[in-house]
Amino acid sequence: METTTSGNCAPEAAICARGIARDFEAGQTTIRVLHGIDTDIRPGELTYVVGESGSGKTTLISIMCGILYPTEGEVKVFGTDIYSLTDTELVNFRLKNIGFIFQQYNLIPSIDVASNAAVPLIAQGMPREQAREKAKVLLDKLNIGNQADKLPRQLSGGQQQRVAIARALVHEPRLVVCDEPTAALDASSGRRVMDLLREVAVAPDRACIIVTHDNRIFDLADRIIVLEDGRITHDGKEMPDGH
Amino acid sequence: MLWIAIRMLTGDAQKFYGLLFGIGFSTLLITQQMTIFVNLVERGASGVYNAPEAEVWVMDPVSRTTDVSYAMPATALDRVRSVKGVEWAVPHLRAVANVRTKDGDLEGVAVIGVDDATLIGLPERMKEGDKSVLFAPDSVVIDDTGTTRFFPPEQSPIGERLELNDQRAVIRGIADAIPSFTSTVVLYTRYSNALNFVPGTRNRLSFVLVGVSEGETPEAVAARIEAATGLQAQTREEFSQAGVNFIIENTGIPTNFGITVFLGFVVGIAIVGLTFSLFLRDNIKQFGALKAIGVTNAKIVQMVAAQAGLVGMIGYALGVIGTVAFIRGFGANPFFKGFYIPWQIPLISLAAVVVILAITGLIAIRSVLKTEPASVFR
Amino acid sequence: MLRNLSFARQILPALALIGLAVAVWLVLGGLPDRSTAQPAEQPPKAVGKLANEPRVAGAGIVEPASEIIDIGSALSGLVTDVRVRPGDRVEKGQVLFTVDARAAQASLAQANAAIGEARAAIAEASTAQKTAREQLALYRGLGDPAAVSRAEVIRAEGEEAAATSRLGSARARLAAAQSAAAAARTEIERLVIRAPIAGEILAVNIRPGEFVATQGGGNSQPFIQMGQTNPLHVRVDIDENEVARVALGQPAVVSPRGAAELHVEATFVRAEPQVVPKRSLTNSAAERVDVRVLQLIYALPPSDDFRVGQQIDAFIPAKAPAAKGEQ
Repeated sequence: METTTSGNCAPEAAICARGIARDFEAGQTTIRVLHGIDTDIRPGELTYVVGESGSGKTTLISIMCGILYPTEGEVKVFGTDIYSLTDTELVNFRLKNIGFIFQQYNLIPSIDVASNAAVPLIAQGMPREQAREKAKVLLDKLNIGNQADKLPRQLSGGQQQRVAIARALVHEPRLVVCDEPTAALDASSGRRVMDLLREVAVAPDRACIIVTHDNRIFDLADRIIVLEDGRITHDGKEMPDGH
Repeated sequence: MLWIAIRMLTGDAQKFYGLLFGIGFSTLLITQQMTIFVNLVERGASGVYNAPEAEVWVMDPVSRTTDVSYAMPATALDRVRSVKGVEWAVPHLRAVANVRTKDGDLEGVAVIGVDDATLIGLPERMKEGDKSVLFAPDSVVIDDTGTTRFFPPEQSPIGERLELNDQRAVIRGIADAIPSFTSTVVLYTRYSNALNFVPGTRNRLSFVLVGVSEGETPEAVAARIEAATGLQAQTREEFSQAGVNFIIENTGIPTNFGITVFLGFVVGIAIVGLTFSLFLRDNIKQFGALKAIGVTNAKIVQMVAAQAGLVGMIGYALGVIGTVAFIRGFGANPFFKGFYIPWQIPLISLAAVVVILAITGLIAIRSVLKTEPASVFR
Repeated sequence: MLRNLSFARQILPALALIGLAVAVWLVLGGLPDRSTAQPAEQPPKAVGKLANEPRVAGAGIVEPASEIIDIGSALSGLVTDVRVRPGDRVEKGQVLFTVDARAAQASLAQANAAIGEARAAIAEASTAQKTAREQLALYRGLGDPAAVSRAEVIRAEGEEAAATSRLGSARARLAAAQSAAAAARTEIERLVIRAPIAGEILAVNIRPGEFVATQGGGNSQPFIQMGQTNPLHVRVDIDENEVARVALGQPAVVSPRGAAELHVEATFVRAEPQVVPKRSLTNSAAERVDVRVLQLIYALPPSDDFRVGQQIDAFIPAKAPAAKGEQ
């Protein structure tokens, strides 16, 4: 268990979160879902954030990747205090530095696989054909290069998640955030997706955070952070007993 | 990114065509109804347009339109001719008469007496026959709408005899005229003949048609005629507008068409608004993902604008094409004769489409803009 | 590149744009021509300097300088001979037509006979008078009053007186017969209708054998119409409201109806002293008017373009606007 009280951040930390708290309005009452989280995410590691539903793990990861403002505390991603940026700067920071993998893949159904994978590059302003070429290279790596011209709905769930992985990595972000990547998959395809993810995503200068409660894949983690009721209750290589 | 937006739009065929239908239907309704409205009320000015030479119309001060006029003494013609800036002035008689057809039917007709010598006051074109047939005795020229009213389609009216207030009248030509608002049969004849055809009242001269000298404006000449003669003088534009206004003031047409146009607008907003909102809601997860990945709100607005623009462009085109096809298709029907689409109306419906899309787009996009990118993690 | 060609994304927008372009073309091409047209035939108009100056317009009618003379007949009777045709130029006093004069000829012959008879009576009476006078002078010359009985003398005196009175009576009869003959000759002369002035025959409405009544038969046509057509005059009606503006004495520009491109300058002759109700020129019998007009008479220059009775449009200079007192 690691609780850091000081505001100092290790220079090599990919994410340095200090005193993160977050409140949600629920009718008349305010519910605090995070209670002063301090943690560092290091590059080159596959970090799991694990917890029951309602433990605040999604809130934490949203705050750490710059899509949800914390009520208190500050987050530095590769040295940038992301919540002191303007909205547009923050959006562009995400576009440049962060790759996302969602539980429901959230692929755009009406464009083909290569284009879906190329979306971050296209959003960065790269010409479509060039972006698609880059995306296809990555799809080849993920063993679905032959599906590049199909529409997402023509693919199986595991294949779709691999497209989502390609989309998260195509612009070579320094931080990859995955939300329950295997929740919608059966055990074997979930496993295959995680193997691939570990193989492709983990790099020395890249941090990778996975939010999950899928105990089938805990063995792939370099580090597991357990969250309970908005507090970190465990931080280590292995899952604590009782989970 | 915009092509992605377009793909997203066309990927959902049902909603895409629903949107096209909504916009197209709105455009069709607005354009077509406004076109019919404009053309219908412009029928009030058909009498003016059917006398293409006249630049100024001179009439009794109480006269209002070509059909609501009070006759002047015959010397009014000479008094108008005396005014500086009047290049020429000719008499013009408009009156109603009863005609007995060969079958014995009685029908009210408008008798228009045009200048004896120059035939000024006839419509510009003849459908059949030459204008000079009017120089023959007792000859009249019927307008093409009247032809359909009096004669079966297979029968040529040329040479037919009518009984006009106990006078013999022989149809010797068909004029290509714009029908009047009431689609009354119009018989054109020379002024001197018209005096015979129409029951005598003290004064007979309904209008004096005036051409203005070179270098003079109709407005200036009209003002001068009014000052010098005490008669009412209106330029062609003023007088045609007076005819239009008369229809607008005295019929329920503006209300009727106004309601229809408004309905078209409302239907457009309803269909398009609902469909567009549904479409955006269906795609809200994709938009959320895009926002999380790093697409700015401005870009999202552009994407939605591109979607609205495509829908608007195609739907508007379909609506306008439909209107044009409608007007062209029914051009042969006497009711629609001379109907045209004023160029302003497609622009107005374009503005309406833009407003519809702007309103519905703004309502629909609010949900997208308000979407927290974090929601994609739930 | 994904699927070759998408209906919704490529074909439909392209079709829409093409259709829109066609529609725009049709809309613009279908706009009605609301521009004014030039008259195919020239209407009457003021030309030259009148076009830009104050002027008064009027309609008028061509008439002979003498106005139209409806030739009548003093006596009724059958027409025996018509000596002129329409268009003939006649001298003053030239015979136009003759009416049956047989009755008058008979009267003349009768009167002539009476003259002869009267002359014979005069001769007889003067002879008797002479004889009576001679006998009376013989008796008066006798010195012896008893040579002739007093009774004889009285008888002779009576004879002389009777002869004298017979002579007077015969003379009177002669005078009567002579005047009867003169009356008959006058009547014969009156049955020959002659031109009252030199001029042109405008209309002949009688033929030999027709009966002419003395004039005044209501709607009956005049037998012969004539007038001095050299020069022709035009009688221009000016609305009474415009009378004050007319510059009297100025020449007018006149165009015949139906030939408005002709512009003839007519010289002022006179203005009728009376403002009269406008006479309808439209031939409509039912026309009643309350418009009064001043009639101005202008003389036309010699020209073949005008005919008596033709309608014309005239433009007359107006007085300078300052004189109008308006504005």
